[in-house]
Amino acid sequence: MRIERDTERGRAVTLSVNGQSLAAFEGEMLATAMLHHAAAFRRDTRGLERGLFCNMGSCSECMVTLLPSGRRARACLTPVSDGMEVRTDG
Amino acid sequence: MERCDVLVVGGGLVGCAAAWHLAAAGASVTLVDAADFGLGASGQNAGSLHFQIERRFLEQGDALARQAEQTIALSRMAIEDWRGLEAALDADLHVVMDGGFMVAETAEQVTMLERKVEREIREGLRMRLLDGDEARRIAPYLSPSILAAGYAADEGHADSRAIVPAYAAAARRAGARLIGRTRLDRLQRVGGGFEAGAGDLSIRAGQLLVAAGAWTPHICAMANLHAPLYPVALLMNVTERSRTLEVPHLVQHVGRRLSMKQTGAGNILIGGGWPSRLARTADGGFDPGVRPELIGDSLAGNLRAAIDTVPAVAGLNLIRSWTGVTAVSADQLPVVGEVPRLPGFWIAGGGSAFTLGPTFARLVAQAIGGTPAPELDFVSPARFEHLNSFMG
Ligand SMILES: Cc1cc2nc3c(=O)[nH]c(=O)nc-3n(C[C@H](O)[C@H](O)[C@H](O)COP(=O)(O)OP(=O)(O)OC[C@H]3O[C@@H](n4cnc5c(N)ncnc54)[C@H](O)[C@@H]3O)c2cc1C
Ligand code: FES
Repeated sequence: MRIERDTERGRAVTLSVNGQSLAAFEGEMLATAMLHHAAAFRRDTRGLERGLFCNMGSCSECMVTLLPSGRRARACLTPVSDGMEVRTDG
Repeated sequence: MERCDVLVVGGGLVGCAAAWHLAAAGASVTLVDAADFGLGASGQNAGSLHFQIERRFLEQGDALARQAEQTIALSRMAIEDWRGLEAALDADLHVVMDGGFMVAETAEQVTMLERKVEREIREGLRMRLLDGDEARRIAPYLSPSILAAGYAADEGHADSRAIVPAYAAAARRAGARLIGRTRLDRLQRVGGGFEAGAGDLSIRAGQLLVAAGAWTPHICAMANLHAPLYPVALLMNVTERSRTLEVPHLVQHVGRRLSMKQTGAGNILIGGGWPSRLARTADGGFDPGVRPELIGDSLAGNLRAAIDTVPAVAGLNLIRSWTGVTAVSADQLPVVGEVPRLPGFWIAGGGSAFTLGPTFARLVAQAIGGTPAPELDFVSPARFEHLNSFMG
């Protein structure tokens, strides 16, 4: 999904979402990295997988938990960083 | 010119519910709504099913609290109505009736609560007065600062966004004609009935029910009547979903403006009557049709009351706040019934019409159909008839 030609990227980083490691680049948002790896954001009350909705900070559908702080954050507004640990259950 | 037995003006909870009951009883019913069904107060509210005497009655002194006792009879009927509503409408309304608390934090509030619960038990409401520890045993999420709580076993909440579509669908199935995006703009008495219009649409109706919420006075003015309902603008807030915090009850406060509950998805809804600011028309009047402005102090005060009552909400993100407009009457009770000076002209509005609306809509439909509903006598518009004694 990423544009590969004629583009400059930040440093390659690795993060972990629900224990699974994801590759991303500095400057990308957590939501982008999760989408790229097709990681579900959560399951709804019927057990179905849900993704994000607005990708611009308004809907809060993309809330995740950042570890170790436990802080809840919107993945679409949170830049990735190397070694970042994330859980999607809140 | 279309004809019907009853024209309902306003497609909120009250209008759609009344249309359903009327149509189910065999009347030909047309309902018009200026917007889409349920976009007024009925789709903006907190969804509390509160059957205890409301704090807003207690804060105005004893006389009003005594009056509120009369609503308990209505509340008891509402409990039955709500218990049967999902089956009757064949819809999932997220009705939860697992109990509700009204908490007290100070000695003065405890006294207020004791008097209130005593009244309620006397009027036949299933109520218990609990001390703080007893309350926390049932509701461990309550703050250690809670000294006592009134516990109503039947209280709870439902999804305010689901109810109006469910009533509207049931009304249509029963044969009612529901017309959206059609604003009533004229109304007059003709012979024994009424002639009403909205743009190109003209309707002749035998009887007329105004269920237009905060717009009710405006509709009544078209018929040369005063209706003592006033628009008030309120605030609502919702947090992110949480699975760590579980609040299965309705939580209210006897001394502070607060209502809290958790939706099926896990969000905590926080409201309780904090004001927002009504919009104005160009010439300075109030405009209930425009979204009210959020007041920062209300937001802070509402969240403070929530955190003081349920400390764990402090750890959740607020994801949205919104404002809405509802109608309050001159004496805070609903206004439901026939206007004495204009037979066939009915009003149903005001009060906490999420909780009580299903009941008074059912009763007013019954009365319009010709079977008196004495349960509504104390909320009849007749008590304000003096306002209309100068209307020629
Ligand atoms: C923020 C908030 C929180 C609340 N919380 C609670 C709660 O927890 N529990 C509770 O019991 N109550 C609560 N209430 C009150 C409750 O929502 C209302 O009492 C109830 O929804 C009123 O329903 P209604 O059908 O009378 O009016 P509305 O739902 O306002 O419907 C009126 C309808 O009339 C239509 N209309 C207006 N003008 C015209 C016209 N000229 N022609 C045709 N149609 C017209 C409008 O479009 C609207 O759809 C709350 C209200 C608000 C605003
Ligand atoms: S996707 Fe809407 S806030 Fe992130």
